[in-house]
Amino acid sequence: MADNDNILIQVKDLKIHFFTNEGTVRAVDGVTFDIRSGKTLCVVGESGCGKSVTARALLQIVHRPGKIVDGDIIMYRKKGQNQIEEIHISDMEPKGRAIRAVRGKEISMIFQEPMTSLSPMYTVGNQIMETIMLHTSVDKKQARERALEMLGFVGIPRPERIVDEYPFRLSGGMRQRAMIAMALSCNPSLLIADEPTTALDVTTQAQIIDLMQGLQKDYDMGILFITHDLGVVAEIADNVAVMYLGNVVEYSDIHTIFNDPQHPYTQSLLRSIPKVTATREKLEVIEGMVPSPFRRPSGCPFHPRCTKAMPVCSKIEPKTISLNENHQVHCLLFDDDVKNSMRGMAS
Amino acid sequence: MTINEIDRALADRASGDPASESDVRVEVATQWQLMWWKFRKHKLAMFGGALVLFFYLLAIFVEFFAPVNYTTYNEQYVYAPPQMIHFFREGKFGPYVYGYKFERDPVSFKKTWVIDESVIIPLRFLNRGDSYKFWGLFNANLHLVGPVNAEDPFYLLGADKSGRDVFSRIIYSARISLTVGLVGVFLSLTIGILVGGISGLVGGRVDNLIQRLIEILISIPNLPIMLALAAMVPLTWSTLSVYFMITIILSLLGWMGMARVVRSKFLALREEDFIMAAQLDGVPRVRMITKHMLPSFLSHIIASITLSIPGMILGETALSFLGLGLRPPVVSWGVMLQDTQKVAVLANSPWLLFPAVAVIIVVLALNFLGDGLRDAADPYQ
Amino acid sequence: MWRYLFRRFLSMIFTVWVISLLVFAIIQLPPGDYVTTLVNQLVATSSGSTTISSEYIEQIRESYGFNQPIYVQYFKWIGKILTKGEFGYSFVYKRDAVVMITERLPMTFALSFSSFILVWVIALPIGIYSAVRQYSLGDYIFSFIGFIGVAVPNFLLALILLFVTYKYFDQAMIGLFSQEYASAPWSMAKLIDMLKHLWIPALILGLGGTAGLIRTMRANLLDELNKPYVETARSKGLSEARLLWKYPVRHAMNPFVSTIGWTLPGLISGDLIVSTVLNLPTSGPVLYNALRAQDMYVAAGFILMLTILTVIGTFVSDILLAVLDPRIRLQ
Ligand SMILES: Nc1ncnc2c1ncn2[C@@H]1O[C@H](COP(=O)(O)OP(=O)(O)OP(=O)(O)O)[C@@H](O)[C@H]1O
Ligand SMILES: [Mg+2]
Repeated sequence: MADNDNILIQVKDLKIHFFTNEGTVRAVDGVTFDIRSGKTLCVVGESGCGKSVTARALLQIVHRPGKIVDGDIIMYRKKGQNQIEEIHISDMEPKGRAIRAVRGKEISMIFQEPMTSLSPMYTVGNQIMETIMLHTSVDKKQARERALEMLGFVGIPRPERIVDEYPFRLSGGMRQRAMIAMALSCNPSLLIADEPTTALDVTTQAQIIDLMQGLQKDYDMGILFITHDLGVVAEIADNVAVMYLGNVVEYSDIHTIFNDPQHPYTQSLLRSIPKVTATREKLEVIEGMVPSPFRRPSGCPFHPRCTKAMPVCSKIEPKTISLNENHQVHCLLFDDDVKNSMRGMAS
Repeated sequence: MTINEIDRALADRASGDPASESDVRVEVATQWQLMWWKFRKHKLAMFGGALVLFFYLLAIFVEFFAPVNYTTYNEQYVYAPPQMIHFFREGKFGPYVYGYKFERDPVSFKKTWVIDESVIIPLRFLNRGDSYKFWGLFNANLHLVGPVNAEDPFYLLGADKSGRDVFSRIIYSARISLTVGLVGVFLSLTIGILVGGISGLVGGRVDNLIQRLIEILISIPNLPIMLALAAMVPLTWSTLSVYFMITIILSLLGWMGMARVVRSKFLALREEDFIMAAQLDGVPRVRMITKHMLPSFLSHIIASITLSIPGMILGETALSFLGLGLRPPVVSWGVMLQDTQKVAVLANSPWLLFPAVAVIIVVLALNFLGDGLRDAADPYQ
Repeated sequence: MWRYLFRRFLSMIFTVWVISLLVFAIIQLPPGDYVTTLVNQLVATSSGSTTISSEYIEQIRESYGFNQPIYVQYFKWIGKILTKGEFGYSFVYKRDAVVMITERLPMTFALSFSSFILVWVIALPIGIYSAVRQYSLGDYIFSFIGFIGVAVPNFLLALILLFVTYKYFDQAMIGLFSQEYASAPWSMAKLIDMLKHLWIPALILGLGGTAGLIRTMRANLLDELNKPYVETARSKGLSEARLLWKYPVRHAMNPFVSTIGWTLPGLISGDLIVSTVLNLPTSGPVLYNALRAQDMYVAAGFILMLTILTVIGTFVSDILLAVLDPRIRLQ
């Protein structure tokens, strides 16, 4: 992979399983990707495919019956001149001191619901200052200065008034801005945004995305952006990971994903968005439903809905295949062994 | 992955085995089924449910389960202590209890009954004993268990001040105490559905006013009011009238919770997402009501009914215990507990507290059952 | 906030008014009117020799408005209470009702208040513990105790207490005072003595409420623990303990404070029965005897004052809520 020194986070074959009373849910089942500083990785996929769980794993805040059972999450931290330190987040205790020092300082996260992600009991300022005072050795006054500064950065008018305001008195857009201000208050190198604009109206959505792009430039930070909205992806992504039932089925840069998708799921996903150019084209939907997590299909989990399914697809699980340095697919169609065998059958 | 595996897979296709299809079929269960599955997992609720069922069966067949009638007394055995039932005699099945002898307490010089292990009173299951009119319908004299010799004293849980069998009276009380709960709850359910329904359906100012009133009624301590009302019931009234009056008083002060549940359900039903979803899916109206609204509504009502019965039972017990509820000769757990008000009596015959054990078990069982039902009422959570 | 409090205050006044109507209705319930009963009582007790002048009877009738329509009677009754503090005369105790009320009500207040404090001190930490350690052994044990607390009628606990003290300590009296203070005038020493005795009945009184509150706190906190703002706080890097106290516990306090509205009536009801069983010098036994004897003015006075006590308690909880919750304060 090109310019390795820009890599911020490397996720390797990550597996997160939920051990519920009804059985084990393989919510994330072998996910691999990396995030570079200054770049945005978008994760897309249908509801329940494991996007949020993956994102939470980066901060070790996966919900209770869930556990990281396998794989690695490595954070690369610049250490002085030309020296890079490897930090294994996946090995950290979820409640330990080590991961708490990472949270909010090096990796920040903003969530989908600006309405409920801030506590209505404390002022915006209080909640931002809390983060600042937790990770830096400043006094209350300095923390307040910083909070005011951050609120200004994220485009909140009259920060000196908003800082003492309670979140429930702000609009959704304002709240999300405040969330961003809070997330960025300690200059993190990675910002995770889990559907940060889903709950906002279209105009506000555009403003927030512009803001994030601007801030990314200023701070040279990596962004992991989770969304359902392929329009947003087109706007901000550098790289895209398409997920299906706990797997990254295709991973590549934005141009390849949009212009030359290889995985049948990516292809149908792209076909399911209406094109402005096409006059009366029938909108294609992906056939069938996402299967229940407890009845995961055998073989390739996508095969029951796949238009290009082969009989082998229900028998063996695909592995990740690199089509080129920057394009990986998780599909048996591209598996040389399978191709050979098929040819053998035909002859 | 080996080539062999792939080949086998391809061969499977040839033999027409669509292994993939069975994997993704989504099973559609009715809402009742979902609730039942969820309820079944709640072990404590299942246990509570079994207990409740047992007690109500007991209440139906009291005459059979009680060794003697509740009015049967024997002045000779006043305050006789409980006997322990033994099942095997000389290695063979032969249930019996020990008899009593009179003893003078060396300190207080009071005469008391004590167990006399030299006297053996044989028992018989499915015994012919006191005759009764079952449900006022037909004469019978069959009892689950009783002394072979009808004159022998048989007091499993001791005797009271008139030498009546506490055990039999507890069983007879189950009928009164449990039905007071049931009738009271249905009365308050009626009021609740009426008021809550109006509140939820009419809405607006009426709703507001009703909610205010309910708030006020809830903020009043209800025992004094209940006692005040109960104290007004004339002494001359027949036992049946008193019984109904007490139930009405209990339900008058217990309907508010029910009305709130009904109202919130009405409001929720109007808005609920799944109804919207069903409408969008084009599900016919009738099916929508029977498949979605009714189960949701009923299950919540059933859960709150179950959770209100204990309050009624405890209320009746408290009223009767204070002597302002049901009156002898009617026998309920509260009426029985009246005897324990004199501490001297209680200290010498603590078995008079056994009716309270029955109350506690029933109330616990109903609470367990109700909690389970309430959880199961939201099968999607 | 002031608008909110003003509204709550108005609602409190309205509540008291509705309650006064209700209580007045209760006075009207027994057959025959108060004066007839009073006269019968006076005749019966004054050894037959004295006759009561019809003038005197008329005078009483007049002052209570018994010859006038029912609403006039209501206003006369409530007017006397409001302007002169006259609650009527007890023909059972042969005293003015107001004397008994002023004597007993503070004791009820003391008992209920200490019981209330006890309930909170016990229920709050246990509820938090049970939620944070959901499904742990401790959670199961506390849930079980909680269920028992709901199921055991508090008079039964009182009976058991009586039984134990009678059987093993040879005295059935669980009064609120030691013997030397029982009839002594109020002093600091007497107060301390009372507090020493108060906790047992307070505990008995509070058991049911404690059980309910543990369950409320546990359920509220479990709800809050999954809220997004907790996630936010965790992703900031706060430690679990700091996060717990600052966010979910604080949030769960609000519905907890609102439960005062139903804990208080429960405690007052409980006082009636527990104090009657234990024969404590609170309102309970007096009200009980008044009701049994249909001594309606005394009973009405007590019921009115007790309900007002709870309504004031609820109002205090409203104020507390406004202080705690900015959403209410800034309305
Ligand atoms: N607490 C939990 N218990 C059991 N399974 C869970 C739990 N949380 C998540 N899962 C499982 O993990 C899977 C992935 O969940 P996740 O929240 O990551 O989905 P998502 O891709 O973020 O979906 P969405 O787009 O709706 O946010 C779910 O399908 C679910 O089966
Ligand atoms: Mg998600």
